[in-house]
Amino acid sequence: MFGYQLKTAWRSLGRNPGHTAIVAGGIALGVAVSTLFATVRHSFAKDPIPGRSHVLYNVRLDNWGPNEPYPGGGPPTQVTYQDMANLMRSDIPVRQSGTFKSALYVFPDPTMGRPTKELIRLCFADFFTMFAVPFRYGGPWGKAQDEKAEQVVVLGKQMNDRLFGGGNSVGRTVRIEDREFKVVGVLDDWRPNLKIYDLTQNPVQEPEGIFAPFGLLQPMDLRTAGNSDGWKTQDSPGQASFLASENTWIQFWVELPTEDQVARYKAFVDAYTLEQKKLGRFQRPLNNKVQTVGEWMAERRVVPKEATAMMAVSLLFLLICALNLIGLLLGKFLARAPEIGVRRAMGARRLDVFVQHIVECELIALAGGAIGLALSVGGLWVVNQWTRAITQRSDFFQIDWKMAAFAALAGLVAGLVAGVYPALRVCRIAPATHLRMQ
Amino acid sequence: MEIGPILRAIRRNKARFGLVAAEVALTLAVVVNCIALIVDAREQMARSSGFDDDALLVVNSVPFGEAFKEEAYRQNALQADLAALRATPGVRSAMNTRFVPWGGGGSSQEMKALGSKGPMLRTQVYPADDGLLETLDLELTEGRAFNREEVERDSRRVTELFAHDRPRGPDGHPKDKFLQEIVISRHWGEEVFGPAPSYLGKMLEDSDTDQYRVIGVVDEFFNPYPWPIHENVVFFANFGTSYEGGTRYLVRAQPGQAAALQRRLEEVLNRSNDQRTVQVQLMSDIKQQFFGPQRMTAWLMGLVAVLLVVVTGLGIVGVTSFLVTERTRQIGTRRALGARMGDILRYFLLENWMVTTLGILVGVGLAVGLNVALLTVIEGAKLNPGTIIAGAVLLWLIGLGSALVPALRAARTSPAVATRSV
Repeated sequence: MFGYQLKTAWRSLGRNPGHTAIVAGGIALGVAVSTLFATVRHSFAKDPIPGRSHVLYNVRLDNWGPNEPYPGGGPPTQVTYQDMANLMRSDIPVRQSGTFKSALYVFPDPTMGRPTKELIRLCFADFFTMFAVPFRYGGPWGKAQDEKAEQVVVLGKQMNDRLFGGGNSVGRTVRIEDREFKVVGVLDDWRPNLKIYDLTQNPVQEPEGIFAPFGLLQPMDLRTAGNSDGWKTQDSPGQASFLASENTWIQFWVELPTEDQVARYKAFVDAYTLEQKKLGRFQRPLNNKVQTVGEWMAERRVVPKEATAMMAVSLLFLLICALNLIGLLLGKFLARAPEIGVRRAMGARRLDVFVQHIVECELIALAGGAIGLALSVGGLWVVNQWTRAITQRSDFFQIDWKMAAFAALAGLVAGLVAGVYPALRVCRIAPATHLRMQ
Repeated sequence: MEIGPILRAIRRNKARFGLVAAEVALTLAVVVNCIALIVDAREQMARSSGFDDDALLVVNSVPFGEAFKEEAYRQNALQADLAALRATPGVRSAMNTRFVPWGGGGSSQEMKALGSKGPMLRTQVYPADDGLLETLDLELTEGRAFNREEVERDSRRVTELFAHDRPRGPDGHPKDKFLQEIVISRHWGEEVFGPAPSYLGKMLEDSDTDQYRVIGVVDEFFNPYPWPIHENVVFFANFGTSYEGGTRYLVRAQPGQAAALQRRLEEVLNRSNDQRTVQVQLMSDIKQQFFGPQRMTAWLMGLVAVLLVVVTGLGIVGVTSFLVTERTRQIGTRRALGARMGDILRYFLLENWMVTTLGILVGVGLAVGLNVALLTVIEGAKLNPGTIIAGAVLLWLIGLGSALVPALRAARTSPAVATRSV
């Protein structure tokens, strides 16, 4: 039966190709616009590290001053050095890393270019496994090198190209400020959609080009090139006092694979805070957060509000496209009334007539959805060119299988919205009226 | 008039006319909100900073040479840079500052009127030198800006003011007090002192109990900041440079010279000292980047609005054509009974106008509802009556225009149709 309906629908579509093209075009337009805007939003909102995001947790403590809360209610977006150092003594997390960025001068071989100031990410060895950082050559440094604060670096792909002209440069050295660093690893092309490990500033920035052990902080007297929030003036000048201060400037992440570990870690963090309260710190009510990647993204408002608003508008656009097609389909179906009359008289049930017309609509809708998807790919290419200045890349907005499914679903729903009323009208035709006219 | 027959026809064809009214209503709601988003984006982009944006360049200099670790060397290099910049043909004026207009941020600080019991208020705070007024194209409403001697004198004092090693008393406040002369924006004066005919000589204090005396007030200042302090500014006199952060200059070009200066300034500074990197940006590029999201919103919403109007127009053509076809015989009958072509045309246009108007009435309500919903997500794009009226007029025209084609076809129906195959 369904095969027959499909065949009839196909024949009906072929009988009036102009009409079919207009209806498919209308759906394609609606699908194109709504898929475009849905993809723009999705590009910010989607899981930045699939497969790892459910075990990673961002840790924050409310060490803010007693007089007023941190803007927005707190806790601050980062942690202090002393708290990171103390929390990292816990053995509950499978992996953990505090991290920050610093701006340092890198001196390439004079044949390769002039010295430049570069952003360098300081982190612990676990960082690379935690954030699924892909290596092309070599690998991360080890825990021993963390402890001894050895002068080793991992280079991003583009940085390796710039410093060494590409290739396997593991074992070579690069001068950063006044020290020589040994290259232990070179990354593959690594361009996550979000810089998930550091959402404190522009969340769509590319990762830094150089990674070095966190332990170099003190020997190199490093400063953060990112945000540093504090509520209390530092006691005395210099790095030692800064590290002992209430300034928050480190992003701190832990890996907790099981619910049990999450619960134990949360209890551990709270117990630590209560203990610190006895020392006169943490004067605000207990307000620590151990948050999943998704919670942290929501709190940092990674998805621009404009993207959400524009997606809502684009869904209305799809609805209006579908509404406009009702009139067209109604005209077409009712013009066929005599034929329907014959079919009904020959024993076709109302349901059969109804289903047959819905099948016809959904066939057009599928075609429209496919065309719409193709159009939205073109539209996204244009949007990517416009936004290069913000995203620093030309492939930020991309259709993935979820968005392709969205396009298909949007097309089918639009087909239903456009087709249900005309199909209902046409199946209510009384056989007799039209037979008389034959 | 045919209002009676039209109303009866509409009542008998509720679904089809309802459809047109619904299309018009939804289209109006969405188009009007698209326009509101576009207007909002354009207003943000058109906001004047008070500066000569198109003529400005930002010059960053970050040193790596060891010699730059000495403050005295840096200060000499800074003076050499300023002299070189000012001597470059095409440069109208240059200043040393940390301030970058349209950078999306900057530095800020809390202050209050000296002796006030009120809360601390936040303002943007930037160093400036004697090139302040000329470079930023600011107008003084009263007082004066800094002269060179003051900038040199205050540079030494500001270095101490911002040092972390000021001896502090038991209350946590520094033991020594600074008095700094500042130039403020009128808006900040109004906010911190309340409306007054003059702010000259008024005093401010910060949380370290350092004091500031107003020596000049500038008329207009606008720099978008993450907090709502876009129009508040305090300039203090300082030549600022550090080894880690380097130093920055704002350069105002002669009219039309900015683009040509971008390369030239980099060469000039690299020639004078090559132990550092120099980066020169056009303010127009920085502004363009800052407004990237707004420009994209405006373009995309414009595209959606245009497509929507086209789709709805075509939809109305479709439904009206259908209604005409369905009533061909009735039209023929009317024509046979003496109705002229104009009567038929008028009938269909009037019918369409009534349905469109119904849709517009509903649409205005929907538009306001959608706008309220939108405003819970984003700020700014508030509907104003002008936009609604413009949207309504647009849809009336679209409705009439779309109905015109099928209505003309109806009008051309021959009276003979009535006699055929009844």
